[in-house]
Amino acid sequence: MAQRFDAAGATPAANLFSRVFTWRRRQLIVAFLFVLPALINFLTFRYIPIFEAAYASVFEYSLLGGFGDFIGLAHYQRMLTDPVLWRAFQSTVMFVVYKVPLQIVLALALALYLSRQSIGTAIVRSAILTPMVTSLIIVSIIWAMIYHSQNGLIQSILLSLGLPKVAFLSDVNNAMPAVAAMMIWKDIGFSFIIFVAGLKGIPEMYYEAAIVDGANRWQSFRHITLPLLRPIMMFVIVTQTIFSFQVFVPIYQMTQGGPLDSTKVIVYYIYQMGFRFQEMGYASALSIVTLVILLTVSWLQMRVLKVDE
Amino acid sequence: MHTRAVAPDTWIARGLRLADWLSRLVIYPLLVFLFLAPTLWMIFGSVRPDSETYQYLFPFGWHTLVPIEWTLDHYRTIFALTESRRPTNFGKHFLNSAYVASGIILLSLLVNTLAAYFFARLRFPGKRWLMLVVLATLVIPSEATIVPLYMVVRDLGIQNSFAGLIVPWYASPFVVFSLTQFMREQISYELDEAALIDGAGLWTVLWRVIVPNTIPGLVTVSLLEFQFVWNMYYWPLVVIADRDLQLLQVVIGGTVGPNSLPRGRTFAGASLATVPVVLVFLLLQRYYIQGVASTGVKG
Repeated sequence: MAQRFDAAGATPAANLFSRVFTWRRRQLIVAFLFVLPALINFLTFRYIPIFEAAYASVFEYSLLGGFGDFIGLAHYQRMLTDPVLWRAFQSTVMFVVYKVPLQIVLALALALYLSRQSIGTAIVRSAILTPMVTSLIIVSIIWAMIYHSQNGLIQSILLSLGLPKVAFLSDVNNAMPAVAAMMIWKDIGFSFIIFVAGLKGIPEMYYEAAIVDGANRWQSFRHITLPLLRPIMMFVIVTQTIFSFQVFVPIYQMTQGGPLDSTKVIVYYIYQMGFRFQEMGYASALSIVTLVILLTVSWLQMRVLKVDE
Repeated sequence: MHTRAVAPDTWIARGLRLADWLSRLVIYPLLVFLFLAPTLWMIFGSVRPDSETYQYLFPFGWHTLVPIEWTLDHYRTIFALTESRRPTNFGKHFLNSAYVASGIILLSLLVNTLAAYFFARLRFPGKRWLMLVVLATLVIPSEATIVPLYMVVRDLGIQNSFAGLIVPWYASPFVVFSLTQFMREQISYELDEAALIDGAGLWTVLWRVIVPNTIPGLVTVSLLEFQFVWNMYYWPLVVIADRDLQLLQVVIGGTVGPNSLPRGRTFAGASLATVPVVLVFLLLQRYYIQGVASTGVKG
């Protein structure tokens, strides 16, 4: 790093020590003022909420009534025996498992398939990115109609292919995979862009050398592309897991957690606790636990996928 | 594929290339259809009578998507220009979204640029630790901590106001980080060094030298911020109680359900909420892709 504007560097040598000191200190204060507005914002709206949640989690605390009695770890004890919570964790993990691996494989396949430069690929790329910039709530509304068990667009296509109608969102077994499929459709552009950039970063001469050595395409992919994409792969896996673990909007809009709680994910459950049932104390405790789980999962993923540097 | 450049030009290779080219003639249109059909269904559905939408649904064909009779009736309804049982003026909520988006973007450009200049250029003891404080916020899951964020905003008394929508979001670790990178890598140190030697203050240097040279970076982050704000849902849903202040997305989400009829009105509202972002994206696609590729921001 080359920060050349050391306050002392611009000070005339003739100045007295004390004057240098105060001048320098003033420079530091001026410098700090540049970062202060952002810092205050981060502290107030990113860090303090965590402490406030930790604090609120040991109280009875309702949205309307405010703080009640101190109850220690009762909320955390309640979690251990909350059957809905365990189902919510299961559903959340299922969603992540349906979505993240498939999305990453498909995004990488598309990035490889569309790596050449032509008008055709440019058009397909723009198409792939369009869902990504469309808002999630709109996508959820439209897909709820697409999945509709009677008048859905997919039913129309199925019928034309000679297949029977399928209940998607109203079926206990199909609802979660249907939401996950929609979310892959929506988010794939994000992973796609990152993989395209990553593939561009691999020098052409590696592949040329591999051909000279008699490697086929699969071998080039396996021994050149994959290892060199590893840092990017890690980034995509970790961020996608964090995002997917927090899925909320499509659940809220499309299934409200149903049918039979089969799509009630953890963030939706927290929302219900806090804002529907007014139990801010319990919702805070749930937030804290979810935060800890997510941090642990990302940390583990980074350990396992660690990039050697 | 990269390998093609030096692949031996035998008749087998030529045959494979032809097969590849032909398969792309089929696969490309299928991919375009897969990714665009829902959006097209929505946009076309907003400019045709509902009866048509249902009439041509089965069997699947050209007119399942493309209207025969074109009409703007649904738009008249959602802008409350016609008599309707439950009039909702989407225009008002569209403006709310526009106000909040501009508020967040303008404040974000100011505050995050100041912070980025600090991190990229100024000398300060423990600066690396401060950067860590900023970057660590990236791993705090935002949707999972909406409940505590709401409690803080309520303590500050700014819930149910535009301030409550804007203030928590204008400082962004992504923006600080990517602008810092931009200033470090793209702007020559000689430029601002020269200005400082000429006696300009830090403030002058920032606005006269750094900012004009950071424009591409600023465009990129504004684009990503716009998309983030325009599409935000969970936060306005809980922080705004007064319907008049509500953002477009939430109002649309609240007035429609999968089973509620008529579809055309839903399509029109959804198109209204979608078209601005998609247009901005199409116009500035290059910056957008750059932004995502370099910072990994998801809108």
